[in-house]
Amino acid sequence: MTRAFITGKTRLMRALLVGWALCFGSPAFSQADKVDVVQDAMGWKLQVNGEDFFVKGVVWGYSPRGQNYTYNLWGESDDFIRKVLDYEFGLMKAMNVNAIRSFSMIPPRWITYIYREHGIMTVVNPLMGRYGYNVGGKWIPETDYSDLRTRETLKRDMAEIVREYKDVPGVLMFAFGNENNYGLSWSSFEIENLPEGEQQAAKAKYLYTLFNEVVRDGKAIDKNHPFTIVNGDIQYIDLIARHCPDIDILGSNVYRGPSFTNLWSEVKAKLDLPVLFFEFGSDAFNAREFREDQRAQAMVLQAQWQEMYDKARGNGAEGNAIGGFVFEWRDEWWKYLQTENLDVHDKNASWSNQAYLFDWAKGQNNMNEEWFGITALGLPNADGVYTARPRMAYDLLAEVFEIDPYANGKRPTQARVEGMNLELFELRGDVRQLKAQLAETQSKLQLTGGEFRGEMALRGLDQELEEDGERALEFSDGQMLFLDFAFEPNQNLSGQFSVNLLANVANKRPFEFTYGDRGRPIIVTGRDAENVTPGNNAGNQTLTIRDNERVEIYDFNAKYQGELFDVEAFYHTPRFHWGYEGDQFGLLRETTDIPSIDVFNGKAPEGIEFVGKGRFKGLTFLAGPEVYWGANPKAIVKYDFSLRGIDLTFIHSEDLARLDDGANATQSTERQTRQTTLTAETNIAKGVKLELGGIMAATEKVDETYDRVGNNGDIILDQIDFEDTLGFKAKLSFPLLGTQSYVSVHHAGLVADGGQHHKVYGVTDPSRLPYSGDGNKREVEAGMRLFFGDFMLFPRALYRDNLVDANPNIPPGINNGVLSPGTNPRDRDTDPFAVLGNREARAGELYLTYDPTPETPFYDWDNEWRENAGFAFDIGGTYTEFPTITDAHLFFNEASNSNASFGRGLPAEDVWAVSSRMAFNPGPGAKYITRIVRGFDQPTGEPNGGTRDYFELHGKAVLGRHLITGYFKQDAWGDQDFYRQFNITYPEQYKLDYAYLLGGGGPISDRVSETRASKIGIRTIYRTYDENSLPEEFQGGVNDFGFLTVAYFNYRF
Amino acid sequence: MNKINRIVGSGCLRATGALLAAALLAACSSPSGDEGQVITQLELPTDVVLDLACENVGVHPETCVLADPANPFVTTTITEFNINDPDAPVNKFDLAAALPPGPTGAKARFYFWATALARFPSGENQFFTAQALHELFDANSNAISEDELVRAQALKAYRSVLDNFFGSVVVFECCADLSPDGQPVAFPVALNVLTADSLHRTERSNFRRLIAGDPLLVLEQLLQWGYRYTPGTPENNFDDGVVEIIQGP
Repeated sequence: MTRAFITGKTRLMRALLVGWALCFGSPAFSQADKVDVVQDAMGWKLQVNGEDFFVKGVVWGYSPRGQNYTYNLWGESDDFIRKVLDYEFGLMKAMNVNAIRSFSMIPPRWITYIYREHGIMTVVNPLMGRYGYNVGGKWIPETDYSDLRTRETLKRDMAEIVREYKDVPGVLMFAFGNENNYGLSWSSFEIENLPEGEQQAAKAKYLYTLFNEVVRDGKAIDKNHPFTIVNGDIQYIDLIARHCPDIDILGSNVYRGPSFTNLWSEVKAKLDLPVLFFEFGSDAFNAREFREDQRAQAMVLQAQWQEMYDKARGNGAEGNAIGGFVFEWRDEWWKYLQTENLDVHDKNASWSNQAYLFDWAKGQNNMNEEWFGITALGLPNADGVYTARPRMAYDLLAEVFEIDPYANGKRPTQARVEGMNLELFELRGDVRQLKAQLAETQSKLQLTGGEFRGEMALRGLDQELEEDGERALEFSDGQMLFLDFAFEPNQNLSGQFSVNLLANVANKRPFEFTYGDRGRPIIVTGRDAENVTPGNNAGNQTLTIRDNERVEIYDFNAKYQGELFDVEAFYHTPRFHWGYEGDQFGLLRETTDIPSIDVFNGKAPEGIEFVGKGRFKGLTFLAGPEVYWGANPKAIVKYDFSLRGIDLTFIHSEDLARLDDGANATQSTERQTRQTTLTAETNIAKGVKLELGGIMAATEKVDETYDRVGNNGDIILDQIDFEDTLGFKAKLSFPLLGTQSYVSVHHAGLVADGGQHHKVYGVTDPSRLPYSGDGNKREVEAGMRLFFGDFMLFPRALYRDNLVDANPNIPPGINNGVLSPGTNPRDRDTDPFAVLGNREARAGELYLTYDPTPETPFYDWDNEWRENAGFAFDIGGTYTEFPTITDAHLFFNEASNSNASFGRGLPAEDVWAVSSRMAFNPGPGAKYITRIVRGFDQPTGEPNGGTRDYFELHGKAVLGRHLITGYFKQDAWGDQDFYRQFNITYPEQYKLDYAYLLGGGGPISDRVSETRASKIGIRTIYRTYDENSLPEEFQGGVNDFGFLTVAYFNYRF
Repeated sequence: MNKINRIVGSGCLRATGALLAAALLAACSSPSGDEGQVITQLELPTDVVLDLACENVGVHPETCVLADPANPFVTTTITEFNINDPDAPVNKFDLAAALPPGPTGAKARFYFWATALARFPSGENQFFTAQALHELFDANSNAISEDELVRAQALKAYRSVLDNFFGSVVVFECCADLSPDGQPVAFPVALNVLTADSLHRTERSNFRRLIAGDPLLVLEQLLQWGYRYTPGTPENNFDDGVVEIIQGP
């Protein structure tokens, strides 16, 4: 037995051995284990180096809170990996686990480390395209096992894996796939022509013949280990029998509840192979009673293991059980939604299984994906390793695993399992749970953490420094504290909120606009009412308010999970758009860039959402004062339904009032309006998707008048008709000669405004095509993604005409009682529509992307933190011809608390930009990101000052705990949107920020966690001025430059 | 399909068809060159009969004049002095000056200033709107009959100057020949005084008094509105009048 091998060594010898193996360990110097599957008249057994080995395993993975499947433990430092493995496998060893299965490919040396240090063996389990595969450099999300190129690629890659691992000590066996029989979703014309019932079987045949070819090739390479597949239950067992003669074991994931029922006899009859479960078990959450249910999980596992022991060799039954891997070692908090709420232990049940009667109810889901662990995911320990809190099942299985099913007879084994003291295990589990609750947020209201920020700012302007020297330096300091609270008064209601407290506020403007500026001193000038007479300023008084808004609720979120509805109230917490839920016109805009909203002390998004369940499934209602950044108070109802395979979505959005303030201080508010859309989406052939949508918008504008210039130069007064409120769009996505291509057309009436255009890659899409959700257009767009190995070329083109052009400025005149009213650029306040971002355009774009690691897609929103390729980049550019002028943009005038027009439109012009982003990962703990942009582009409001020819270089370097970020910009706009809105640029802008990360407070996996991480650092902004710069900085030529330096300390606890 | 699905689903299906069909129809049409009304040149109204577009037309904050089909200035760009952009061209007074003088231009004058007021609320625009209404009242009244509706409207407009724009001034320029640099001299006049004076005296505008009878009745009306008026004196060309807000207890 492996454990005997380990315990036979002294601790010193073992340490030396492990050290030697890690330093010099390569297969050439190592001795692989000999693992055999043996059969006699009493049944099947697995043997390792000649010793019986009943697999007492768990499915293992290490996913910290806040991370998902893209987290790569093996990219961390060796020291940290060792700490994680020692913690995890120490606990497993204490539980008598002897093998693991992992979805990630554990590097060979760590398999050996786990084996030699903890005595636990590992199944090498490549998933063989279960969740997509890279074929010829192109990521195929639905693997087509009938495709010859795919088959050859998979066979080649699997053989390579066998070669790499065959001599690695600690490898138990090779297993391929993970329920691939449940993912036969590709389509082909050949298969689609078959009757519906035969289509899946035809696909499965391709899968199993490939499995066998892979196994056969593997066995030719490695004679020392068994080979198997990981099937979903025993679906297609007849096809396995026919097409997989070379597998040694039937590997299967089985969720049949407490008993595996007739699986043993069926396998014996049809395959006569030993059975090894690669997944089985139960979740530890009772969906019916909405609570953690450790006992139910333990009872299911107890029954399952008893049955497995009964079915082991020599116990008089089928004798084909050789063990299994309990799913799973520890809860994974990313399982539900996978990219959202990663630091929340979600209680949503995502599928239904009647075999788990303890919480099954008709029409309700009961399988809680994030609660399958026999240990719960705890808080990090002093080493930064996320702890595992054993559940009752852990203690139960520790005793179950002590039993050798081959050594005892059936009855003694049964008696021992049945006689276990469940009450004691339950008590232990409950005590651990209670202790964890005390440490965490499970009580009614708990302070869960917080953050302290302190900073000292030094600010200076050229002329003042020249005249007064260092006396002109303006020094200020700031301190703020966040206190984070969580509450869970009952199992149905939970939430969190943060309170922000301000002490001093550092004066960093206009170099930086940051959260906390709300507390800057306010100077109020007023007059004594008795002295109010025209022209008399004698009574003027000035008052400085320094203690305003010291405390505020920073964010709030509460969720109630009911039987028919889930209700979520949100206040300044990130919200996603509904683009993937049928909202083709983008009525609900995404609000995830909370740091940018903070700059202006905005509180969006605010609202409440009801999501229907059960008989209300598909119905969503959302309402609030600002459900996305800049939204008018509104209510939105959405209903998703299907009809004959077509997914349909109906949305109505109704503004209930008008926002009374600019969202980012200068962004104009929008008129109160309404929109209704109906969209359809269907796959009409292999890889061919058709999306159709209709919109009716702004019906309140019908009969409103507008003027325009006719074809002969006459000025015409026209009015909005009903047809002007209608729009239609269609998009066809299709494969063409190995590409992924699309064509879309969009016709929108004059006021048929949608919302946010959804780019192909969302917010990180480098595209600068002049997308607009506004109406008054006829638009055609086409694109094609071409793949060459790890490279992708993506040309796109957009053509747009307006139904009515922008108005030029023709001055009015009056002569002899005749008025020539002239005309002027429209705006969106006083006219029913205006030609702005939806202006006529002819644009072309080309981007080349290199990404050798498609599992961390280059354009994912958090790629900056997750990209794991040694080197990945994109480079490309956009050229846009704007053949016509625009109408006038609006801005929000804080002084009058209303919109104001820039009065003039932007000129007809050609603009362009080229950019490149590069990511380097030279080694563990090191990452470099750069982004370069060069462009010639127009402002978004004020036309004065003209078009800018600019350059930007952004960089970020992570070196262990050192974080360096910065940029250099030339003739570019400032950081916030309003700089471009008012066309304010600087000849040169520099920023350099160095931070030393202090650790703690959770992993850095996105912008928010990076901003809030514990760190100490210093940053400097330096910029030079000219007549295009902010007047208060340039001061008519008085200042040539200005700078700000901030030393800061953030501590998250 | 359960009940809610059936109800909503069937409704949605009908709406789907209707919406898609309507959208496709719309896609086939767009504003053509010959639709709408040609307004390249418009004859200004010369009559003096004013139909009020709404109860408070010409009185801040009402903006219904912008939707009045009789208003020829709906699409006319009237530019104001902008303190944030002082060099931007201003056409308001040029256009106002080009309006026909006398009663034939009174109605156009009302529409012009009421439009300016609706677009840009200011004491100046409110005062000249009131004056235009006063002029219309004068033109449309005689010894036998008065246009009571317009009279009441003019009073409302004057009162709005005091209520909404009490501290506003209008700047006049004059006397370039007397100026040392030959440039016109600008001098501000409080609109509250001009308003009270326009109600109290007839000499400045030569319009019929809105409050007939003894001028003391004007002072009484102003008191009722909450203002105390001390009229100007002839010696000072009536420029030394004072309007005060009556303070509460």
